[in-house]
Amino acid sequence: MKDYLLDSIDAKLGEMLTNSSHMFDLSMSCLLGDTNLDSVKENLYSTDKLINELHRDVRRELILHSAVNSRNPDIPLLLAYMTMSKDIERIGDYCKNLFEIAETGNSFTKDDDLDYLISLRDNISGFIVSLQTCLSIDKESKVQELINSGAKLGKEIDEKITSLLEDKIEVKYPVATTLFYRYLMRINLHIVNAATAIIMPTDKIDYIDE
Amino acid sequence: MVTMKKRPFTKVLFATFFLYFFLVSIKLLEKGIKTLGAEYTDQLFQSVSSPFVGLLVGILATVLVQSSSVTTATIVGLVGSGFLSLTYAIPMIMGANVGTTVTNTFVSFGHVRRDHEFKRAFASATMHDFFNLIAVLVLFPLELATGFLRKLAISTTDIVIATGFTATKPNSPIKASIKWGSNSILDLLSKISFIDKLHEQSYRLYAGLVISLAIIFIFLSLKKIVSNMKSIMLNKIEFGLDKVLARGGGVLAIVIGIVITFSVQSSSITTSILVPIVGSGILSIENAFPITLGANIGTTITAVLASLAVDGPEGLTIALVHVFFNLISVAVIYPFKTLRNFPIKLAMILSSATVKRRYMAIVYVLVTFVLLPILGIVLFN
Repeated sequence: MKDYLLDSIDAKLGEMLTNSSHMFDLSMSCLLGDTNLDSVKENLYSTDKLINELHRDVRRELILHSAVNSRNPDIPLLLAYMTMSKDIERIGDYCKNLFEIAETGNSFTKDDDLDYLISLRDNISGFIVSLQTCLSIDKESKVQELINSGAKLGKEIDEKITSLLEDKIEVKYPVATTLFYRYLMRINLHIVNAATAIIMPTDKIDYIDE
Repeated sequence: MVTMKKRPFTKVLFATFFLYFFLVSIKLLEKGIKTLGAEYTDQLFQSVSSPFVGLLVGILATVLVQSSSVTTATIVGLVGSGFLSLTYAIPMIMGANVGTTVTNTFVSFGHVRRDHEFKRAFASATMHDFFNLIAVLVLFPLELATGFLRKLAISTTDIVIATGFTATKPNSPIKASIKWGSNSILDLLSKISFIDKLHEQSYRLYAGLVISLAIIFIFLSLKKIVSNMKSIMLNKIEFGLDKVLARGGGVLAIVIGIVITFSVQSSSITTSILVPIVGSGILSIENAFPITLGANIGTTITAVLASLAVDGPEGLTIALVHVFFNLISVAVIYPFKTLRNFPIKLAMILSSATVKRRYMAIVYVLVTFVLLPILGIVLFN
């Protein structure tokens, strides 16, 4: 027997991820491509509002589910959904931050590392799709694979940020580039954290390093 | 995320079995009372001196067993056996309606650590109390003066019987199978030497034992029906409440309240689910109110089912009184905004006072549901 609200929550998380993926693609197209900012701004912000509303729906449905199942509440599952929805909601916020880098006149289209930046975009975009798949199939090995890949990429971006802070890399827009890597790292981290909520014990969610 | 769920088939079987056992228990109660004999039951009957005492007994009995379904089903058994007349049974049914509201008030105590949450939760629980108290204040004197509920229920019973609905006939297959079940239990009891000796020595003690067993069986079978039906209906409950969250209250919410309660056979389940939802603030007290009213109507199905087990048409009549009392109270109070908001306002006032002085919550429950009924019974009896 399927559970109506848990299925609905799964569907809403999936929808949040689809919207996050859309926001990520839009904001990255503004930084790595020639997309007109004005043409995507409204779309970007309205999609974020949609994600926020879905996030609130998830919370409401979690309360409703726990009220209806008050005698046998699956508390670890509800906490996992709570933390996961928060992580997915944050992706949208960082996509807006990425867009704001472009809005202040920064662009990486002529950056020496453009190919690397495009590969970063593709990796993270792929992680969002993987997270969506993990949510629907609940296969531990697939989730673990996503966590490992995300952790590896996170370390890589972290090293980039450290190099930028230590002036080891020369870039055209140092502040914008550092912020860009920082936001990508946060997006990547929220994807990994959401993945940990699927398979890890409640106390270990978000703590992959420890 | 994928979650493991059990198949509901076994639960449907269990619920069906316990529904049958519930009807058999009502029949057993009827037989136990008949064993006592008319002379003895008349003496007992005279101890309930006024309809007002009947009302208070209904409140107290329901608070003690924490289920209006148990009380109303027992009342149907008592009326069907001729032990209790409609004059006293009708106020008892009204009292059961009031008594059942204490359960969700207890549930609201779970939110006592957070002021705002407790205020909303306690108000959502006590609006049910106030609505049912107002309904009694309006309809009880009216019933005493005019007997309109009794007349309406008797006329409807006559119509149902005239339609030839088989379940109301004394020789219907349903009644025959219930009779077979209760006779089998009595046969089993007679094989226990202690009970057999008791039967020979004192038919009154034996009848008392049968009546006690019947009430325990009614309680247990209803408990099992509710738990099985709730797990079978979980998805529908979630679906219905999700729709109320999305669309707000109104008539749809009343219908959802009726359907949920009808399905799980317990208004307390429906109203108790609402308490944490309102407490968390995701459903307003105004939108929760019509679901509560629906629960009042939906819970009347238990008495109607119980009436299938008893021989006399009075069993059906008292069950219909329960139906009409709740239908009329909703029809009189809900359509008018001022009247509709009155129980909500009273509940808000009480919850605001209770948040400042938490002990008032306990005082309120003890005074309204225990002390006043006991005092009333002592004074008026």
